[in-house]
Amino acid sequence: MHPVITDYLPVLIFGCIAVVIAGAMLGSSLLFGHQKPYAEKTSAYECGFEAFDDARHRFDVRFYLVAILFIIFDLEVAFLFPWAMSLSRIGWFGFLSMMGFLGVLVVGFIYEWSKGALDWD
Amino acid sequence: MMTQIVFYVFAAVLVLSATMVVCARNPVHSVLFLILAFFNAAGLFLIAGAEFLAMTLVIVYVGAVAVLFLFVVMMLDVRFAQMREGVQRYAPIGAAVGGVLLVELIMAFTHWRVAGNIGQITHLVPSSPTRTNTAALGDVLYTHYIFLFQTCALVLLVAMIGAIVLTLRDRPTGRRQNIDRQHDRIPQESLEMLQVPLGAGVAAQGGFLRPHDSYDVAAVPGTYGTEAWRAREAAEQTQTALVVITPAQGAKGQDDE
Repeated sequence: MHPVITDYLPVLIFGCIAVVIAGAMLGSSLLFGHQKPYAEKTSAYECGFEAFDDARHRFDVRFYLVAILFIIFDLEVAFLFPWAMSLSRIGWFGFLSMMGFLGVLVVGFIYEWSKGALDWD
Repeated sequence: MMTQIVFYVFAAVLVLSATMVVCARNPVHSVLFLILAFFNAAGLFLIAGAEFLAMTLVIVYVGAVAVLFLFVVMMLDVRFAQMREGVQRYAPIGAAVGGVLLVELIMAFTHWRVAGNIGQITHLVPSSPTRTNTAALGDVLYTHYIFLFQTCALVLLVAMIGAIVLTLRDRPTGRRQNIDRQHDRIPQESLEMLQVPLGAGVAAQGGFLRPHDSYDVAAVPGTYGTEAWRAREAAEQTQTALVVITPAQGAKGQDDE
């Protein structure tokens, strides 16, 4: 057995228990609950008044921009973890390699800051 | 034995949820099945000993990319009925692309050869009792694979600039915060200190005033101030036949003092 699996066995057991409990809750409410759905009951609830419109509106593309910028810096941070783990072995070359990586991304960061991509009107 | 069972459970759920990504009627459900597929793929990575990749998959793909997919699904403004119509038309193209991919995968994997001396290449060992998977990645990623690593930085830079160029539009009407101007403000620009006579209150000076216009101007006449203040002012105006001070004149009087 791989050592990683024994390390993660508690996580696996935890996940199995979570699935069982969630399944038991949903399943028992499905089995024992009274279910008499009708059109009024299953319609969208909007604080008492009729729903104006469908919920599927287009929304501003700036949400998407924020999400993309988040992913890029998320990946940047993901690269920092192995670097921090083995910095003592890879020496100055590894250090400068990461500094180059960060430098390129800082260029992008300055660009997006100066363009106002991080501002919200 | 245990490992095999876990592998088959993860693999089966992965294949099933990947099928549901394609087959689900609601695109939002497709994204949720995709998240399930990501979790199971992370489990498979763990079984293979790639601990860091498993965690990165959960953090980056489930935490960020799935959210992005949800954004796209919401933003596309999909009409399900319209989407159903397209299925018949685009099915041959989709089948052709899928067939080409399948043939390529078969060609790639039937000619896959594992090098005989792979056990001797020390830097390829994913993890060992003395070195975790994350450290094993870090030992080679920044030095041995520096070219790919720096290329990765450029790819991220291009993604960042591309996203900004494509989506950011300058809105002249937008009320954007001008931080420099905000920091340059001083209290004297927006505040005025008044000498209020003892016992008279600010009512004698026309109530609370702003430097350039009082609340009296903005408010519906007679609605500003407390009940007692309005009553007293009305009494003053009727008793002493003074010149009625309009709020604008009152404001000027404040400046003179």
